[in-house]
Amino acid sequence: MQRDVVAEVLKHPKYQELVKRRTRVSMSFFGLTLLIYAGFILTMAYLPEVFAQPLGATWTMSVGLFVGLLVACSAVILIALYTYFSNKVFDPLLAAIMRDVQ
Amino acid sequence: MNKLLWGALLALAAPAAFAETGHGANTEAIVMFLLFIAGTMGITWWAARKTQTTSDFYTAGGGISGFQNGLAIAGDYISAASFLGIAGMVYVSGYYGVIYAIGFLFGWPVVMFLVAERLRNLGRYNFADVTAFRLEQTPVRILAASASLLIIALYLIAQMVGAGKLIVLLFGIEYKFAVVIIGALMMIYVFFGGMTATTWVQIIKAVLMLAGGTLLSALVLYAFNFSPDAMLAEAVTVHPYAEELMSPGEAVTSNPLNALSLGLALAFGTAGLPHILMRFFTVSSAQEARKSVIWASSFIGYFYILTFIIGFGAIALLVRHPEFFHGGLDGSFNMLTDLIGGTNMAAVHLSNAVGGSLLLGFLAAVTFATIVAVVAGLALAGAASIAHDLYANVIARGRSTEKQEMRISKISILVLGVLSILLGIIFEDQNVAFMVGLAFAIAASANFPVLVLSISWRGCTTRGAVMGGFIGLLVATVWVVLSKTVWVDVFGNAEPIIPFPNPGIVSIPLAFIAIWFFSITDRTARAERERDAFDALTVRSQTGIGRSGAVAH
Repeated sequence: MQRDVVAEVLKHPKYQELVKRRTRVSMSFFGLTLLIYAGFILTMAYLPEVFAQPLGATWTMSVGLFVGLLVACSAVILIALYTYFSNKVFDPLLAAIMRDVQ
Repeated sequence: MNKLLWGALLALAAPAAFAETGHGANTEAIVMFLLFIAGTMGITWWAARKTQTTSDFYTAGGGISGFQNGLAIAGDYISAASFLGIAGMVYVSGYYGVIYAIGFLFGWPVVMFLVAERLRNLGRYNFADVTAFRLEQTPVRILAASASLLIIALYLIAQMVGAGKLIVLLFGIEYKFAVVIIGALMMIYVFFGGMTATTWVQIIKAVLMLAGGTLLSALVLYAFNFSPDAMLAEAVTVHPYAEELMSPGEAVTSNPLNALSLGLALAFGTAGLPHILMRFFTVSSAQEARKSVIWASSFIGYFYILTFIIGFGAIALLVRHPEFFHGGLDGSFNMLTDLIGGTNMAAVHLSNAVGGSLLLGFLAAVTFATIVAVVAGLALAGAASIAHDLYANVIARGRSTEKQEMRISKISILVLGVLSILLGIIFEDQNVAFMVGLAFAIAASANFPVLVLSISWRGCTTRGAVMGGFIGLLVATVWVVLSKTVWVDVFGNAEPIIPFPNPGIVSIPLAFIAIWFFSITDRTARAERERDAFDALTVRSQTGIGRSGAVAH
């Protein structure tokens, strides 16, 4: 019986769409994450003088510290955006498939 | 029932012994810690009645909400080592602490985009359920259990030793006694209350820690009229490194490859930590798993920002208090080497400086609670590895009853508790600084590649996963042992054999390549079956059909 449900889902046209789109979205988010993270670490390791500059003439805070703060926020924002996508797009798609096979 | 009575007696006895030896230490800290113990013991008593089945024991019956789980993850993830350690690192070298904070935080997008939802849909109790979903149980579970138990042992030793020393300073009690209290409390929580009690201990600890950190940061910023830049300006003025505080510094620029390697292990290690992955089975669905990550990463990110305010605040403010330094009363001290208790105590002294003994007591109690919560989560994951992977699926080959598995996991908790106390005592005077780093490196090089490829690559076979996982495990471990952190700092040799201490940049890609190579060259019938089973795995990982759901309470 379990096997039948699996076969049915596999044949469902919306399932292929779900897998394809979800893989694309999660891979894009993952790629973006890596880009930001690698960019940050590589700049820190190979161009430390960029991060060492102060934000402005009257500032003590350095570019690196400020960028670090932004990078930290970006991690949470990426996660929030992904959740928004999942709730808006993937959950309804999934619900439609589940309605048909059960 | 008599088991419960025994627990209640121990609960009463522990604080009593604690109060007796605590004289001379901070009274507020002891009172607040006793309140924490009383509250969590009450919860454990309540949780024990709800803990009947293995599902209750390992996953709280799947009845934890996404928000609660997010808090519990934050409580599990931010150990005393990472909170006090990063604050201490900022205090010593300023900007360098950023690499750790960002690295720990970026583990979360990786968890979210690669594993969180699929993990929940595929597994029951721990991540080995997921890697063994279409691969052969015995070898894959032996791999998962070996890597997990090694990670847990390293983490436990680091926590016990660090914690023991901290408690000696905060509460003025003997080291061995401190280690016994932590071990005993952990055993009571987990033995009787399983995942339900562990989760609530972690939630309470996370709330206390977030509240304490917020208050401390607010008081620090208040001293600078809520201008972070004024605080930084003061820090740069008084610190011996001056402007260097604001830039990456020697530690990064002298060996960029090492920094990169560390960054890789931190970001990918989180998605391979058994005690963190286990938390995803306590929620009822993939949607709740997503919510867990949002809340967890928000709390963790927020807390790391607080840690930086605390670290820079400590630089700016502690120099005004010579009483926190050795030999400081005559007005001459080195702010980096003379801080009482070492630089990891920067946050603790700061709470005394801006909030007096009441805030100091609160922070000390929170630190103690933090240690107990983290250790409890580790022990539960260890028990799952022993009872669920090694006993039920490898030794008994799936023929054991739930009752037998439960018995083994409870015995495991007791063994792990006693073992962690003994290890804590044995390693008291050893250099354990490398252990958490090594745990992350193994998680990123053994568990993470196997988990990711087994759920997202059709071609992955048992042979590939097991070879790749063990190669990652071995390379990461041998690398660290032959590098400066162990070869020179622990064994006392003059020169390291390996040029830099973090293995990630070599061991992680190597594990992926090995899994790929040993999978594509695997032409057995079993490998064919495993590739064919990928469709069924994908259906379940995408839709959750057939998943072990929440048990109604």
